[in-house]
Amino acid sequence: MTVVQLDRIGKSYGGFKAVEEFDLTIHDGEFLVLLGPSGCGKSTTLRMIAGLESISTGLLSIGGAPMNDVEPKDRGVAMVFQNYALYPHKSVYDNMAMALKLQKMPKAEIQKRVGDTAEMLGLTDYLARKPAALSGGQRQRVAIGRAIVRTPKVFLFDEPLSNLDAKLRVKMRMELQELHDRLGVTSVYVTHDQIEAMTLADRIVIMNGGVVAQVGSPREVYDTPADEFVAGFIGSPSMNFIDLRRNGDDGWTSVEGHLALPPLSFDTGQRADLRLGVRPEHIEILDPGADDGIGMTFDAKVLLAELLGADALLNLDVDGIRLLARVSGTEHPVAGDRLRIRFHEAQLHAFDCESGRALERGVPTLVS
Amino acid sequence: MNKRPRIGLYTLVALSVVISFLPIVWLILTSLKNTAGIYAWPPQYWPDPFTFDNYVKIVTESPELLLYVLNSFIVALGCTLLTLTIGGLAGYALSRIKMRWGAVLMVFILAVSMFPPVSLLPSLFQNFLKLGLLNTYSGLIIAHAGLFLPFTVWMLASYFRTLPPEIEEAARMDGMGLMRIFLTIVIPLSWPGFVATGLIVFIFSWNEFPLALVLMTQNAMRTAPVGISLYPGEYAFPWETISTATVIAIIPILVITAIFQKQIVGGLTAGAGK
Repeated sequence: MTVVQLDRIGKSYGGFKAVEEFDLTIHDGEFLVLLGPSGCGKSTTLRMIAGLESISTGLLSIGGAPMNDVEPKDRGVAMVFQNYALYPHKSVYDNMAMALKLQKMPKAEIQKRVGDTAEMLGLTDYLARKPAALSGGQRQRVAIGRAIVRTPKVFLFDEPLSNLDAKLRVKMRMELQELHDRLGVTSVYVTHDQIEAMTLADRIVIMNGGVVAQVGSPREVYDTPADEFVAGFIGSPSMNFIDLRRNGDDGWTSVEGHLALPPLSFDTGQRADLRLGVRPEHIEILDPGADDGIGMTFDAKVLLAELLGADALLNLDVDGIRLLARVSGTEHPVAGDRLRIRFHEAQLHAFDCESGRALERGVPTLVS
Repeated sequence: MNKRPRIGLYTLVALSVVISFLPIVWLILTSLKNTAGIYAWPPQYWPDPFTFDNYVKIVTESPELLLYVLNSFIVALGCTLLTLTIGGLAGYALSRIKMRWGAVLMVFILAVSMFPPVSLLPSLFQNFLKLGLLNTYSGLIIAHAGLFLPFTVWMLASYFRTLPPEIEEAARMDGMGLMRIFLTIVIPLSWPGFVATGLIVFIFSWNEFPLALVLMTQNAMRTAPVGISLYPGEYAFPWETISTATVIAIIPILVITAIFQKQIVGGLTAGAGK
């Protein structure tokens, strides 16, 4: 049982807080992804768990034992780096065997472990080679192998796929997933790629500016983002935001343009304004004549249509507001078309204009 | 396309080759002339008669030349090893360990090397006299090392900075200590840097004159440049002896440079990262 516990963990350099104190429990066998833009503190958090960075405040424990002042090698963790960080002057075998040699493990045992791991990763034929003679994907596999042979209690990944080309990245992502299913080792994975996070994670920790914005399953962060940042970061293309102001009838009117919406089922309190969010994939294009008047329907004009293949992106003008909609790529509308679109209330998100916090769903508060 | 800048480049290269090699060529030619040929007017460009007499004479009549070369070799090698050891450790510490005054320290180290070495001579002589370091190899090795250390620290520190720190972090995670990382990871990866720096220090030390002149006063302890310059001439300056001895003293440097040149070019870090 390896539970990683972060108890009010924080990092500051002088007066600058790189990571704001937060609590997190990483469960046994869980695949946890730290997600955020560069400089958000996700790598620093990972490096604090690894022991490569000192912990400014709080307590880190792995498997119940406090780890703050324990050397990296004694934490039972293994790390895979973005640029592989292999020893370039040593063979693949020596790269993978290094940690075991340093533990003074018997030679026969090392050979068996490295051999088994190499076979699992398809590296058996390359054991005698130097890293320079391997492709990028093979190098990253060696780096993963080097972590596996140590049979660590926790795997740490620091953007392991960022240096690979797009095609290879998808392949390695699936391999990582299979590997995790097979080994079941608690893993912490840092990435700025929300697709990697969504596909790999049991739970995602989204960070922004050193602060944890939300912790939740991929489903939760997509369906119920805690704030505007999470809402905009998860999902591609990102969510449309519309600033709204309360009008005389307790309905809402857009600040720009003249989009008018009925009272919304959010716990708006006495707010005079809010920010509405609607995902591009949640804008429904109605077939001609299919407008039954149910829900919120609007006239829209297609300004630009981009075919991506399976999907198409439509740049729409809706009552003076620009919205991006994602529709099926077959026989999609083209620039200049006039359409009728619909929002489904259950798929809308509302945020506080100042704090960016998501508003709970509830009974609309009527002020007039 | 743009042929013109290349022609300019080649001209500059050719010019610098001529300028730097002409004295050496002249030196070699002089060593192959007889005394009459050296003083002939108009000057002889090609030795006539072409003779190896000077070489035969110097080997048979002045065996101390080989001693001078040996002394130079011992001092230069000792100085290079000492400088690379201390400079490597200092450079690694300065490039990797976060220190409050790290940058200031680097500038300070450089500032020290801006003193002209001659200005240090009187006090160096007195202290070496007290410590019994005059006319010893270790004395001149220490003096030379002091002279070339700032350069070495700077060269190696900047080379270490080009290594991706993740390799060393991976080594730490694998369970290596700082010293072991330095010896088994950093030195092999910085080999070209060590070779290039070491070569330059070796040549500096081989050629260094003022300290070697003052700190090695016994004839048997003289280094090649000092010993050769003090060749006695009764009535005239013995150009043929000096030029021949100098050519012989250059040979070890040429051999060492030729051996290590290939190593400098090696791109050992290829394959470590991207």
